[in-house]
Amino acid sequence: MEGKASRTINIPESLYQKIKEQIKGTEFSSVEDYVIFVLEEILKEEDELETSLSPEEEELVKERLKGLGYL
Amino acid sequence: MLVIGIDGATWKVINPNLRSLPTFESLKKEADCSTIVLNQKPWSPSVWCSMFSGKTPEEHGHRDFVENGRIVKREDIPVQFIWDLLHVHGISVAVLNVPFVIPPYSFNVRFEPVAHGLPIEEHELLEEIQAVTSKALEILENDKPELLIVVYTALDRLSHLHWGEPILVDYYKKIDAALGKLLSYDEEFIIISDHGFCAYDEAPIRTLPKRTPKGEIKGDHHPEAILITKNISCVIKQPEDVFYCLKEKFLG
Repeated sequence: MEGKASRTINIPESLYQKIKEQIKGTEFSSVEDYVIFVLEEILKEEDELETSLSPEEEELVKERLKGLGYL
Repeated sequence: MLVIGIDGATWKVINPNLRSLPTFESLKKEADCSTIVLNQKPWSPSVWCSMFSGKTPEEHGHRDFVENGRIVKREDIPVQFIWDLLHVHGISVAVLNVPFVIPPYSFNVRFEPVAHGLPIEEHELLEEIQAVTSKALEILENDKPELLIVVYTALDRLSHLHWGEPILVDYYKKIDAALGKLLSYDEEFIIISDHGFCAYDEAPIRTLPKRTPKGEIKGDHHPEAILITKNISCVIKQPEDVFYCLKEKFLG
């Protein structure tokens, strides 16, 4: 991590190894990048819930996608 | 730096109307203008996803706005987008209204897409251009991120049902005016579309049905997208090159 103040947090070695295996072949270049990404996604959940579609809105979206020929 | 996406924008409309599109006219003189001929299907969800993940459709696997009757969400797509990557490296990045999913996706920005990112009616099309421009200007004025990515969807939605009609040129003029405002904030930018458009019967790849519940489809997606860059040193030949271009610029 560069360019940002940071803190060190310890995680269990077994978890570290599991993540290291999981990110092989992905865009994540380090366990740290992956952990930060996942934590931020979780913290964003509240905002996303607010913007998630109701069943009625989902139907409206599908109707419009059909109208445009996307569905 | 600015990346401005214009869903469905094509030189086929811009070039013959340059005299009424002053921003595009000046970009033709002062910036590098070219055409991207897509290797992949000209289909918005997968092209925008490729552009900002650096992956081909085969690699990212995101094909449609709806899969198995369910609207696909960002978290269903197992990729790290450029904004995710830059953010963890401490680069300030704001992302506004990117339509690889519906509603379009924003990052580090609170924005409610107009008509869930599917503006069809004229007042919605106008509102989208105004709302996206206004939010982008607010970000540029107040937050001043190192990178702002912003996408307009209106021209694509309009081209489906009104290709070849004068109203389409009117909306290119509105986008042209919006571009003029945004570009006054940055001399380093990429303006790009995810695909072009053409008359329905002239499409080299058929992507849309002839009729929908909204009526006749008059335009279909075309594999030639627009690209305009200024002060960008990397080469962009395909949408996924944008990801690598931004990665190189900010992370080396």
